[in-house]
This record gives sequence, structure tokens and C-alpha cells, in this order.
Amino acid sequence: MTVGRSDGRTAVFIVVLALLAAVGPSSRLAAQDSQFGIRGLGTPGKWESVRARTTGGAFAPFDAFSPMADAALADVRRMSASMASGTSWRSADASGSTAAFRATRFPALVIAGPVTSRIVVGGGFGTYLDRTFGVIVHDTIDLRGQPQAVTDQITNDGAVSDVRLAVAARLGKRLALGLGLHRLTGSSRIVATRTFADTLNYRTSTARDEVAYGGNGGSASLLLDVTRDIRVGGWYRSDSKLRADIGGVTKAENDLPVTYGTGVQWRAGAQATLAGTVTWRTWSSAGDSTAHDTFNWSVGAEIGRPSAPFRFGVRGGDMPFGSGKAPSEVGYSAGLGRQFSGGRGRLDIGIERLNRSGTGLKERVWTFLLGLTVRP
Amino acid sequence: MTRRLAYLSLLVVAACVEQSTAPGVCPNFCPGGSIDVHDTIFTSIIERDSTFRGYLQGFHAQAMAVVNVPGIVESRAVIATDTMFRRVTPKVGDTTTVPISVDSTRVKFVIVRRPKTTNVRLFLYALPLTVDSTSDFASLDPSFSAPPVDSMNVSALLALSAIGDTQTVRLWGDSIRTDSAGHVLQINAADSTLSVFFRLDTLQAPFSVPDTGRLAFGVRVAADSLASIALGTTGTASNGPVTRFFYHYTIPDTVSATPDSVVHGDRTVGTRFDSFVFSPATPPDDSNLAVGGVPAARSLLRVAMPAYLHDSIDVVRATLILVPVSAVQGAVTDSFPMRSLPLLADVGAKSPLSTNTALVASTAIHIGSSDTVRVELTNLVRAWSLDTTLVTSFELAQAPEAASYTEIRFYSSRAPALRPALQVTYVKRFRFGGP
Repeated sequence: MTVGRSDGRTAVFIVVLALLAAVGPSSRLAAQDSQFGIRGLGTPGKWESVRARTTGGAFAPFDAFSPMADAALADVRRMSASMASGTSWRSADASGSTAAFRATRFPALVIAGPVTSRIVVGGGFGTYLDRTFGVIVHDTIDLRGQPQAVTDQITNDGAVSDVRLAVAARLGKRLALGLGLHRLTGSSRIVATRTFADTLNYRTSTARDEVAYGGNGGSASLLLDVTRDIRVGGWYRSDSKLRADIGGVTKAENDLPVTYGTGVQWRAGAQATLAGTVTWRTWSSAGDSTAHDTFNWSVGAEIGRPSAPFRFGVRGGDMPFGSGKAPSEVGYSAGLGRQFSGGRGRLDIGIERLNRSGTGLKERVWTFLLGLTVRP
Repeated sequence: MTRRLAYLSLLVVAACVEQSTAPGVCPNFCPGGSIDVHDTIFTSIIERDSTFRGYLQGFHAQAMAVVNVPGIVESRAVIATDTMFRRVTPKVGDTTTVPISVDSTRVKFVIVRRPKTTNVRLFLYALPLTVDSTSDFASLDPSFSAPPVDSMNVSALLALSAIGDTQTVRLWGDSIRTDSAGHVLQINAADSTLSVFFRLDTLQAPFSVPDTGRLAFGVRVAADSLASIALGTTGTASNGPVTRFFYHYTIPDTVSATPDSVVHGDRTVGTRFDSFVFSPATPPDDSNLAVGGVPAARSLLRVAMPAYLHDSIDVVRATLILVPVSAVQGAVTDSFPMRSLPLLADVGAKSPLSTNTALVASTAIHIGSSDTVRVELTNLVRAWSLDTTLVTSFELAQAPEAASYTEIRFYSSRAPALRPALQVTYVKRFRFGGP
């Protein structure tokens, strides 16, 4: 009994901390950064809970707390909330030049609850595009007839967040349908600084501005229980143009991709579940020749007792932005889940390894994942 | 177990420090925008430029130029002392006074700038007591043509060993150097200026009761080459000329308990007038821009800032380009700083100056050089760029003003080919918003 009371306080403590962290600046609501996103619109976020992410993303369309397929919300039987965070250590190797990065992100928050026995309403936010990066470039320019060494630093801190309002309905014992409205919002603070080596004669030039992003989208999905143990799903999402405003004036508009995919989940007994998904996104419409359509796949499994499962998965596919052919991404992940407080809470932890490869750049990422789900 | 996992996880998350900046690999992995620097010489941006003279006269200056560059310029310092009392009251409360008898006089000058040349000598001349601001080089020349009342070899004094015994230091405050004629030289530890003392007897500096004890002196300089020094004036805190009378008087036996005793004393009197005269005089103003001279001239330059310099760029360097009409003649040590002084308001000659010292720029004007003069106005132009309410005008002035015969003249906007120009290096606004 004592242990149970202590676990309950722990859960409340963690929830409060997690929510405080999650409602912080928008820049901290971003997903996994990548140098590949600098030339494009950014790095697409992963619409996955920690549970789904530790299965390589394969469980995302079937997981109510992954903001990918709205239909999965139909499985929520009580008011619940879930959030995910990730701390990543990233190294990039560009033509022999290596750099290390660190970041902590809160990529997804989902809150959902039933309004009737068949209809569940949910919402939350996820990262649509991460736009946090910084580059330092050293150069020598000719100024007033003399060579001048300069250092440029351009930092961009922010993200495009996806605020979602979704409804899911169970249309019978086997079919669930989900619809979602999405509001893309967010901002990024950009600072461009040029520093001259000759500080006696030349002043540092600093320009800073804040870009506000806006857009809308809609999504639809369905889940079909083909048999008692096999579930298939499909999802579709379309977004308007992404608008970038500075001081209320639109500076750029970019098309956003159509997203669609399908997946299958197989419950192989009481203590094993396997899933696989494929996803297509038409990113080539979003930019110039450096933007590519993407195809991504994932396979994962969850084994063990439902109260303390072990998960693992693998994912692969393309990244949308990069010169030449589309950069590729391969990831491996594993993790554990643990219910506490009599099943009212669940803590998920995981670790993910990503290898990205494109023309002139390779990235390796370790990410520590932490997820919390509570059912008050 | 769950609690431990939770705390561990939170610790890992909290301990993480953001690091998102790295060397860029351009152009593939750099932002689309770039920081572009442009450099433009605005040849007609300076307009309605004028010269105004009379801000300071020579007797307002902080220093007196004493120069002897044969064939080019000769400048001489002149001073007049305050009055000295002629009688004293030997006993407090008694109305009877007795006359004083001056035994000697010591005149102090402070050399605030001296040349590196050798054999620097100072010559002290007696001047008529009528010397004042109307006196000029020609009117005082007869007095300077007479034999000097005293002379001092500064270089020789500097070469002597310092006398630093406790008695000397107690009297003088620091070690001194002195020669057989009684001249004293003291190096001021705070600023390395030289205090020199002429010791004059009653023949050299006769005490004249009808003249209320006033004295007037002139100073010339000579050296092996390009002799030029500057003497401090009463316009400074402590470098002005000082005259000290040493006197005695006798106490008559009817009024004192110590009859017929002789009392010695001394009295320091200030300087009521100090200035300098030089030849040739500052030429009259013309269509060019004059800076310096006596009376002090300033040039007012107005800058017509283009709109795009206000709102779409970031100024990283701004340089005022001025073409001298001719090289400034004189001794090399008479090179002087020229400052640009921003204005609070532009009302012409009497425009109030800005008190923001960060916007003041300075450059050295070298004697004998006719090279183009460049003044870095970066801070000022950046301020103009950011604040459109600021007056985009400034004055060029010598520093210190009216303390030297030197004056430089630049071509004005009336000379289209050689008019003042402003070279601005600026960064165009970064293209925010796009990928």
C-alpha cells in the first residue's frame, strides 16, 4: 500500500514537470533536428509516442497517443494524456568536417477522452517541421581593396507545430474512422551575425527577426479489424501552403506534402504484437530541386506482459531535403514500458539510433526517449 | 523501480544542454540567405558645408604654442601676472602698514608638450604691462627683439642628475633638477609634463609699486631643429603659469614687541592673462573648409542620408574622406587631432553639440602631409541609421582648440572633384522568411 501511494505521488510529480516543460517556448516543441533540413523547410517531425517510436514507428497508426492516425483514438476508453520527450546526441560528418549537437525536444502531446461510447475526441500538438539549426562560416572577402576575414553565424531557433483536434468513431465492432483538423503554427527566431576580424574598423552586423508560420490541414484515417488478431489501417492527410510571415507581411509560401500510408498489426498471442507500416509524402512540391518525395517503412514488435512490455523496431526510408538524390535514414530502436499506480500511469523509455546518409553528409543520432501516459 | 526510472530519466533530460550550431558546409547545408556586404562611396552625400570661426581665442586655450621653425612659423607665449600687494600690516589689528621689499621672483611654466629634438632652450622676455588680447605678433616683436631677461636650457637640465634628498623633496614635493643659475626643472610624475622655474632678481623682474607689482613676460623657444613646445595656461587645472614673489619687510620699533626685526615672506600670484602670438597669422577664410587656427575655426558638414541607409541596411563602417588643400606647415610635433563632433540640433554656427561621447570620432592631422584625411564615423553613421530623429550634421574641430597656430583646410562641396565624401560599408538586410 505504501509503495502504491508513493508511486502515485511520483506520477503526479512527473506529470506536472512534463506539462510545465511541454508548454514552454515553441522552439522546445520540436522534433529531431537534422542538417539535411537547413536548405529545405526543416526536418519533419515524427508523429509518434515513445511507445510507437521504440517500435521503429510501426505501432504509430494503431497507437492512440501517436498523432498520426486519428482513428486510433477510438481505442481510448478513459480520459488520458500522453507526452513524449527526447534527448538526442547527434554527430554530423560533412566532407570530413565533423560536428556534434545536443538537443532536448518534446515532440508530441496527446489528450483524448470519450464523449460517447462510440465517439472519442482528442487533440494535442506535435512537431510538423523542426527549424532549429545554427551554422558558422568563416570566409575572407575583399573589402576596400583589402582582404578581410569574416565569420558569419546564422542561427534559427524554432519549429512549425501541428495543433490537432481530432474525433474518432467506432462504426461497428471492426471499423473505426477518424477525422482531424490541423492548425500549423509556430515561429522561429533567426539571428544572422557577421563578425569582422578587424574589430577596430568594422562593427559586427547583427540582424534578427522572428518568422511566424501558419497553415491548415485535414486528415482522415480508418482502422479495420480483419480478424480478432489482425488490424489494418490507412491514413491520409493534406495541408495548405505553409505561410511565413514577418511583421504581418507574408514573405514566403510553400506547398506542403500530401501524406498517406498504410499498416498492419498482428496480435500474435497474449504477449506479442507485431506491426509494419509504409508511408508516402509528396515533399517534392514543397521546394526546389533539393526537395524529394519520400517513402518510409517501419517494422516493430512489442512482447511481454502488457504491464511491462519490451519493444523494438527498425525503420528506413527517405528524408525530404538534400541535394542530389533524397537522403536516406535507417533507424533502430528499443524500449521498455512500465505501468504504475494500478494502471493509471505508464512510463515508457527507449533508445533510438538513426543513421542518415545523403550527398556530402552523414549523420548519426542517439536519442533517449521518455514518455508518460496517465489516465486520471 | 518506477520512481528510480522516472528520476533518472528526468535527470538525463534536465542535464542536457542545447548545442545546435556547427561549422557550415555551404552551400548544400547552409541557409539559402547570405550576408552580403556592400561598400559605397557617396560623393555627393555631404552638402551645405561651411566654416565658422571664433569659437575660441588664443587666450581661451589650454596651451600656448611656443614655436620657432624658421621660414615657416614663429609663435611666442605671453603672460601678465596679477597684482601684488605693496605693503603689509606687520601686526594683526594694527592699522599701520609698512612697505615690502621684493628680493627675487620665481616664474613657473609647465611644458605640456615638448619636442624630441636636442638643445631645447627657453628665453624669457620682459613685455609691456599693456599686453592683452589685442596684442599681436608685430606689436610685441620689439620686446622680443630686446635681450631676454633670462634663458634656460631645458635639455641640459633634463640631463642633470635629480636631487632627491629629503629636504628637497619636503620643499618641492618631489625631486628636482637645478643648474648653477638657479633654474629648476621638475618632472611631474602624474603626466610627465615638465615644470620649469625661472629665478629672477630685482633687475630681471623689477618690482614696480606704481604698476601694483604686475609683471609681463614673453617666452620664445629655440632648439637644434624644429623647436616647438606647448606651455600650459590658466585654462587648465594646474598647468598655468605661476609667479611667486619673495620679499621682506622691517617692523618699526614703535609698533612691535620685536623692534626693527626683518621678516621674510613669499607670495604667489596668479596669471591674469596668457596667450600666444604667432606669425604668419591665420589666413582669412575662403571657400574651403577650415579646421583649427586662432581664432579657432570649425567646419560644419551636413549629411543627406539616403532613405535606404536608414531602414534596410546595417552600417559596419563609415569613413569620412577629406582632401586637404595643402599640407599643414610647422614642426612635426605640432601634429594635432581633429575631432568630429555630432550636433544636437543644426542651427548653424552656434549649433549645440551632442554630449554622447561615443559618437565622437578623431583622427590625426600630420604636419607636412597632404594625404587624404579619413575620419572613421562608424558609430555616428550607425546612430543616424538607427535613429531617424538625430540631426545628420557634425562639426570638425581641432583638439584642443586655439592652442596652436596649426590649421588645416579641406576642399568643400564647392569643389566638385575634391569635395568631402562618405564611404559606407554596409550589410544588406538578411533575407528572412525563406528556406
